[in-house]
Amino acid sequence: MLDSPASPRCAVVIPAFNEETTIAAVIDRVHQSCNAYVIVVDDASQDQTIAEARRAGARVICLPQRLGAWGAIQTGLRYALKNDYAIAITMDADGQHDPGFIPALLQPIEQNQAEVTIGAAPARVSNARRLAWRWFRMLTGLKIEDITSGFRAYNRSAMRIMIKSAASLLDYQDVGVLLMLRNGGQRIIEVPVAMQARANGKSRVFSSWLIVAKYMAHTSLLALARMNRPQSKHYLSKSERL
Amino acid sequence: MISYQLTSSLIGIIVAAAIIFLVRRGHMHGPYAVWWLCAACVFFLLGLFPRVVDQFGVALGVSYPPMLAVILGFVMIVIKVLLLDLERSRQEIAIRRLVQRVALLQDRLHELESSQSPTD
Repeated sequence: MLDSPASPRCAVVIPAFNEETTIAAVIDRVHQSCNAYVIVVDDASQDQTIAEARRAGARVICLPQRLGAWGAIQTGLRYALKNDYAIAITMDADGQHDPGFIPALLQPIEQNQAEVTIGAAPARVSNARRLAWRWFRMLTGLKIEDITSGFRAYNRSAMRIMIKSAASLLDYQDVGVLLMLRNGGQRIIEVPVAMQARANGKSRVFSSWLIVAKYMAHTSLLALARMNRPQSKHYLSKSERL
Repeated sequence: MISYQLTSSLIGIIVAAAIIFLVRRGHMHGPYAVWWLCAACVFFLLGLFPRVVDQFGVALGVSYPPMLAVILGFVMIVIKVLLLDLERSRQEIAIRRLVQRVALLQDRLHELESSQSPTD
């Protein structure tokens, strides 16, 4: 159990791609909210994201090639697990997530009510996206309201599942990740949070109709392929190199 | 006018020779080399004995026997493409994990260099 929400055994993992305008402010707000160790995983940015994040006091891990947000998060989780952090919190670099809610995310994990918590703000999204979420819930049987929220906390047991090779082929921190957690026997709790409008730009997933169509097809197939995957001994016991 | 068997034999021998040449020169990784050597054998044998397809076609009840070779060839191509995508996915996982590992090792190296620099 952690001593407090501000325990240094907690790491905040922030994936960042070309976020020079917002990254420093996000790191400052995390430092003001708690004394968690801040890890920025730079996804091969072409701007000053790395310099800004280092200047703001974060540890910056630089990916030599773009892996996407989930690949960057998985890198941060590998780092957190290897360096004995008890809990890893993931949040966006665009200022959408309020670090003030980090203690609320930590509480259910500290009280052993869940292995994973999700900062949920389903009211923020459009009706179309809510319909898409409902479709994915229907396909998978997941009882989670905010499927795409990147504001989450994972304990070590959940982190171990998230760093597996099978998770490396996922592209987003959404349905595929949630199904792996559920199939791995992890308890997931949603915590209501407030989310800001993105300070810089719009969602990369829902940026055009073509991308939305590809995302829907890809994620629906993933949901169908993994919806009733039984928990196998191999799945749970297979060790992965950090 | 040259015979059909001579034409098919030439085609079969040329394709088989090209494949064997590439495999012998080490341009192909083990499992792929086995696949293509088998393909070379099939080209070679069907080139030398094109009537084998007709006999198999009749035996299997195919009304136009040459279609049997076309369909079997198409099926083999589909299987090969499927195997390629499976291999591509495996490689994608390996590349992503390696990129992550390189980033983590670079970070560790940076940390070690920083910790040693004041004493240098």
